[in-house]
Amino acid sequence: MSKVVEISPTTRHEGHTKLTMQVDDSGVVTRGDWLSLTPVRGIEKLAIGKSMHQAPKISSRVCGICPIAHTLAGTEAMEASIGCIIPDDAYLLRVILQCANRVSSHALHNILSLPDMYIPGTDTHINPFTPEEPVRSVAQRIQKLREVGQTVGEIVGGEPIHPSNPRVGGMYKNISPRAQTKINDLVKEAIPLARDHMDFMISVFKDWDDRPMASVAGGKEVEKTEKFGFHDQGYMASDTLYGSSSLDLDQKWYPERWTEVRPWDWYQGELEVSLEDPDYPIGGTTPVGTKVWPAMEACTGVPLYDGAPIETGPRARLAMFRNYDRKGAMGLQIARQMEYMDCLYGMLDAVEALDTNGKVIADDIPQGDGTLGWAANEAPRGTDIHLTKVLNGKVQWYSLLVPTTWNFPTVSRALEGAPWQLTEVIMRAYDPCVSCATHMMVVDDSKKVVAQKLFQ
Amino acid sequence: MVLGNYKNCVSARAADPAVLSASQDGGIVTQLFAFALEEGIIDGAVVAGPGDEPYKPEPIVATTVAELMEARGTRYTICPNVAMIKEATRSYGLDKVGIVGTPCQIQAVRKAQLYPMGMRSVGDKIALAIGIFCMENFPYQGLETMVEDLCNVKMESAVKMDIGKGKFSVYTSRGAVSQIPLKLTHKFEQPGCHVCLDYVANLADVSTGSVGSPDGWSTVLTRTKKGETIWGKAIEAGYFETKPIEDVKPGLGLLTKLATEKITKNQKTLDERATFGVDKGLRNPYI
Ligand SMILES: Cc1cc2nc3c(=O)[nH]c(=O)nc-3n(C[C@H](O)[C@H](O)[C@H](O)COP(=O)(O)OP(=O)(O)OC[C@H]3O[C@@H](n4cnc5c(N)ncnc54)[C@H](O)[C@@H]3O)c2cc1C
Ligand code: SF4
Repeated sequence: MSKVVEISPTTRHEGHTKLTMQVDDSGVVTRGDWLSLTPVRGIEKLAIGKSMHQAPKISSRVCGICPIAHTLAGTEAMEASIGCIIPDDAYLLRVILQCANRVSSHALHNILSLPDMYIPGTDTHINPFTPEEPVRSVAQRIQKLREVGQTVGEIVGGEPIHPSNPRVGGMYKNISPRAQTKINDLVKEAIPLARDHMDFMISVFKDWDDRPMASVAGGKEVEKTEKFGFHDQGYMASDTLYGSSSLDLDQKWYPERWTEVRPWDWYQGELEVSLEDPDYPIGGTTPVGTKVWPAMEACTGVPLYDGAPIETGPRARLAMFRNYDRKGAMGLQIARQMEYMDCLYGMLDAVEALDTNGKVIADDIPQGDGTLGWAANEAPRGTDIHLTKVLNGKVQWYSLLVPTTWNFPTVSRALEGAPWQLTEVIMRAYDPCVSCATHMMVVDDSKKVVAQKLFQ
Repeated sequence: MVLGNYKNCVSARAADPAVLSASQDGGIVTQLFAFALEEGIIDGAVVAGPGDEPYKPEPIVATTVAELMEARGTRYTICPNVAMIKEATRSYGLDKVGIVGTPCQIQAVRKAQLYPMGMRSVGDKIALAIGIFCMENFPYQGLETMVEDLCNVKMESAVKMDIGKGKFSVYTSRGAVSQIPLKLTHKFEQPGCHVCLDYVANLADVSTGSVGSPDGWSTVLTRTKKGETIWGKAIEAGYFETKPIEDVKPGLGLLTKLATEKITKNQKTLDERATFGVDKGLRNPYI
């Protein structure tokens, strides 16, 4: 007999979500839904009529972990719509900003993932807050990597959280030779640290994969199943590092392959919770008898690529461009760690190529004739696509397809076959950013009914 | 207390005649920043650099002595130096920022350090804040009217302007001096200055101005531990000539008198704001 169990809210990720699952007698998930409960803020609708300069600054505020992604995707979507080519040095500054943010974001995610993992070879969960070694040095290394990422972001972006320097047409300012040297020094300081850190993190995730039993931090040890977190969905990525836009000759994302279905068509219908574990850390699961209705409660649309959910993120990038083939939740975690070095060398190459006397703003910034433009930014969590139509400098239409939105249905599939007690480990492997994912219109907020028709 | 907390007060001037050649008074600001730059105490300073129009300064981040030299002299008009402190730590990549400013600007710097609204990682990078004495300031159009209409001098011809001994004086490149009584300038004052209760930059590390010392010399107050240390090192390195303030005329007496007058007058303006309207008043930022 299948039972219904629900973890709500989920923790150690950005935003507000829950896992509603049907499980068999041994507690293995047969059908799972992972859904956003984050209140919708409606960025896309309120951007209409605003200037093309303001809209990306608003969409930056979708998320404070990856504001770089939304600023750059937003700005570049505007540039794609109006047909504006930015100067090379502006592009290099954006690349540095992009890499800096990815380092900082991945390092932050390490803190969120580590409590589920064990000090390799022991049965002790890693507590990143402990003053004891060996964890203390790991935590300090993580903070150092974040500091480097945020400081570089501050210098090139003007601000690491909600960067002020990017603007439609390029950047407001180039950096000084002193700032160029400073970035170079910071990156070189971070490279050996990042290498050690990557090795450490990969050994931790491999250790977890090799265990027969595991628990989430503070939880009960349960038997793991084979193919933990596997799914059969495809991948989507536009680049290893930066992105692609409709201005590119060789475009790496295809709007015609994208369709969107409503949560109504995709998530489970009305259910009643029939399995409860008051000991699930911390505070237990949803009480037996609670009525749940994922199809009505989900706050995101379900974007599909070629008619099916896909995975986006570090593994998708490595799978598509580097033949990476490790599957499962740990395969994704390991791929994320492998990106550290690319980011640091990406920053180094860009800062060395930068001409600090170079022009950073296009001579001509057209005002737009309503043409559809899109830009894909490879955010830390995957492909962040902004689509827009700009007419006379004003946004006519704006749509955001952010990485975690793409991953919601894929994670739901990847839950199948896992013991429900470990499903948060699968979800966390995707580094969810739920405020990013939730940005559409709601018809009735009190009942959390999502708008019937969202896209023209 | 009208002079704020300070550790030491002297009359001083820069030892380098090149600095003095175009400084307003004793060249304290330029010489001290040059010393701090050479010693690595700061790696740049926000100063009032040349702007597009004569005597209309623009804040710049000076990272060389040459740039500091370009910014010498008093421009009696608003120059928003604080607008550059964040940028100095961003695209300029500075870690140790110097800044010069009027008392209100030094207040802004300190407030940004204690309550950093939108001033992420700026506070700990402020390495040396030099305050200049200030009785009042003028909007650019006001200054232009004073110079061109009342003093009959083209802005382009002015090489120095000075307020002292009850007069506003303009010196030209051809050696002429044109003066008007200060009372003619009052209506051009920036209204915001009328609620200002700080004459000698009480919150700076080092404050300096002309009042109290003879022409070509400056009155210098060292206030913070940092200010005292840097000043001490500069003296030791031979960057300044000094005299005890007690030995110069008019000395601290006049400074105290002017500071008291400013604060008393402006406190009265502030008090009047409370009953400005009928049954309602205007805002008071100090409460
Ligand atoms: C508006 C104003 C009113 C003043 N009122 C008085 C007064 O009542 N009594 C008194 O004793 N002294 C006053 N001063 C200070 C005095 O004029 C000199 O600036 C001071 O003595 C420093 O001279 P110095 O030779 O040491 O500096 P210098 O080596 O000449 O350097 C002066 C520094 O001040 C900066 N500066 C110039 N204009 C401005 C401005 N508008 N805003 C911010 N920074 C600026 C320059 O960039 C430069 O770095 C006033 C200054 C200003 C700007
Ligand atoms: S009088 Fe006060 S408010 Fe006006 S410029 Fe001087 S310090 Fe600033």
